[in-house]
Amino acid sequence: MQEWSLSYRLGKGLRRLFRDKSGVMAFVGFAILLTYLIMAIFAPYLAPYDPVRRSGKAFSAPSKEHWFGTTNLGYDVLSRIIYGAKIALKIAFLAVAVAAAIGIPLGLISGYVGGAFDRILSMFMDAIYSFPGLILAIAIAAVLGPGVINVALSIAVIYAPTYFRVIRNQVASLKDQLFVEAARAMGARNFSILGRYILPNVLPSVIVVLSMNLADAIMTEAGLSFLGLGISPPTPDWGYDLSNGQRFLLLNYWWMILFPGLAIITIVLGFSLFSEGLNEFLNPNVGETRR
Amino acid sequence: MSLKWYIITRILLAVPMFFILLFMIFLVMRILPGDPVLAMLGGKAPMSVIEAKRHELGYDKPLLNQFGDYLLDIIKGDLGRSALTKRPIADEIADKLPATIELTIFGFIVALVIGIFWGAEATKRHGGVLDITGRVYAIFIYSIPVFWLGMLFQWFFGVKLKWLPIAGRISPLLRPDKITGMYLFDSLFTWNMPALKDASLHIILPSLALGLIISSVFLRMVRGNMVLMLSQDFVKAARARGIKENSVIYRHALKNAFVPIMTVMGLQLAALMAGAVLTETTFSWPGIGSYLVEKIRYRDFPAIQGTIAVYAIIVVAISIIVDIINALVDPRVRY
Repeated sequence: MQEWSLSYRLGKGLRRLFRDKSGVMAFVGFAILLTYLIMAIFAPYLAPYDPVRRSGKAFSAPSKEHWFGTTNLGYDVLSRIIYGAKIALKIAFLAVAVAAAIGIPLGLISGYVGGAFDRILSMFMDAIYSFPGLILAIAIAAVLGPGVINVALSIAVIYAPTYFRVIRNQVASLKDQLFVEAARAMGARNFSILGRYILPNVLPSVIVVLSMNLADAIMTEAGLSFLGLGISPPTPDWGYDLSNGQRFLLLNYWWMILFPGLAIITIVLGFSLFSEGLNEFLNPNVGETRR
Repeated sequence: MSLKWYIITRILLAVPMFFILLFMIFLVMRILPGDPVLAMLGGKAPMSVIEAKRHELGYDKPLLNQFGDYLLDIIKGDLGRSALTKRPIADEIADKLPATIELTIFGFIVALVIGIFWGAEATKRHGGVLDITGRVYAIFIYSIPVFWLGMLFQWFFGVKLKWLPIAGRISPLLRPDKITGMYLFDSLFTWNMPALKDASLHIILPSLALGLIISSVFLRMVRGNMVLMLSQDFVKAARARGIKENSVIYRHALKNAFVPIMTVMGLQLAALMAGAVLTETTFSWPGIGSYLVEKIRYRDFPAIQGTIAVYAIIVVAISIIVDIINALVDPRVRY
């Protein structure tokens, strides 16, 4: 086979991907995420029923008409799970984007400038970082009230320090490297040193943190809405559906809690597998030590 | 430096850390575009009522003054008064705290036992059954929301099998005399066997749910640190001397891996407390987590702030304790 043919290169890439476990993990994670992404985007076409309209008898067990059963109000559980992917992903992406937008620039500047500014900012960021994230998010969400943007904001606050720390520490060690000094000697401005020389070097670790954070953000969102601090009902939301299902647990309606929970687990699992595989792929030397 | 001086400086250093933590949380809660008073009264209250409430709670003062009031309440020790019950918040929290501590202790024990033994055994054979299952377990359990696991337990052990109670700390009539407020210890001290049995049955499911969720982090951490330790020369030397593998793992490697493990475990206690909020809500466990959620439901912001301050105190206290234990175990830390 000729070396420059597309299929050859594709095959080589795939072989490389599946050479060890990390590639397989990343691939499985990616497949799960893709499924959920498609579910979220095409929810109106995929869901068998309207998620916020009575579609059958209340509390009907899983059957041919309702694969995952119905809720206390006769809503179709499967449809609610499909639509729920939309909310979960929307909030997670928004939260992580805001957290990164706060944490990355501050980390870059703080690490690059150094001195008192760096020390004070780090102190504040460490303070937030040391506090139990969910509890802080609960307090903030309580002040802000329900809604997609508000929930995303309360989650973003607790993850911003993660980006700050990762970036700041790397920048602090990179800024004295030879290639940065060379750039400076050639007359590059601070801004372009940060953007064109330092940022590309720290991005791989940021990507891993991003995908790991998405898993945590979905978990936190589920927790907030479980506590009644998420999106106002009846919008389909997995965490809310779980707390709703718990009210009828004693009556043995297990399908109301089993399926929304499995949705959360698989999507979080997807993000964790993906980020873990990605981590070993992008940063092979900082991964787990092998014997 | 002697141990005594190390402890004293460590505690003194914690004071600014505590205030920064409080200030930061206060700032974050106030800087964001939410209005506690509006949230408290709902959107339909007349302006005059809103203004009066704002004045009553001191929310019309400059931000720095408000922070001053907040600190004053903390220093006075009563954390201010609840906007709902008008009781000192410190008293209300003191009633709830033992339940949370009890749950956290047992959750921590579950996580610790699983984490240490599975983590250490997994390193015995790289790629062995325990190693692989351990890694799969850690990834899987990390993806499970603690409240979902709790509900599953409630459904299976409570509703299906009817083996265990699924809510509360104890049956109403069996409450032991109060010494610590932790029912298991109180009933043990007063030798109140029916209460001890009942309280034990109540704590099994919540502590198991909480502990299992946290155990994934412990397992990974113990395994990671042990792998590092086992590649060290002193392990090679111990093996060369013909010391049994069990002894090499537990008495040589694990002991030396203890300091990094302790440090991360201290940090994990924060995650444990966050998980406790969800666990308490799931199992109607009357601790400060349920208290916080209840106060949020009633929009009682002074009480929410007070509870957050208590969490801040706990976070700082844990970090001090972890450092002191590290200094005790490893004298090098003191310098």
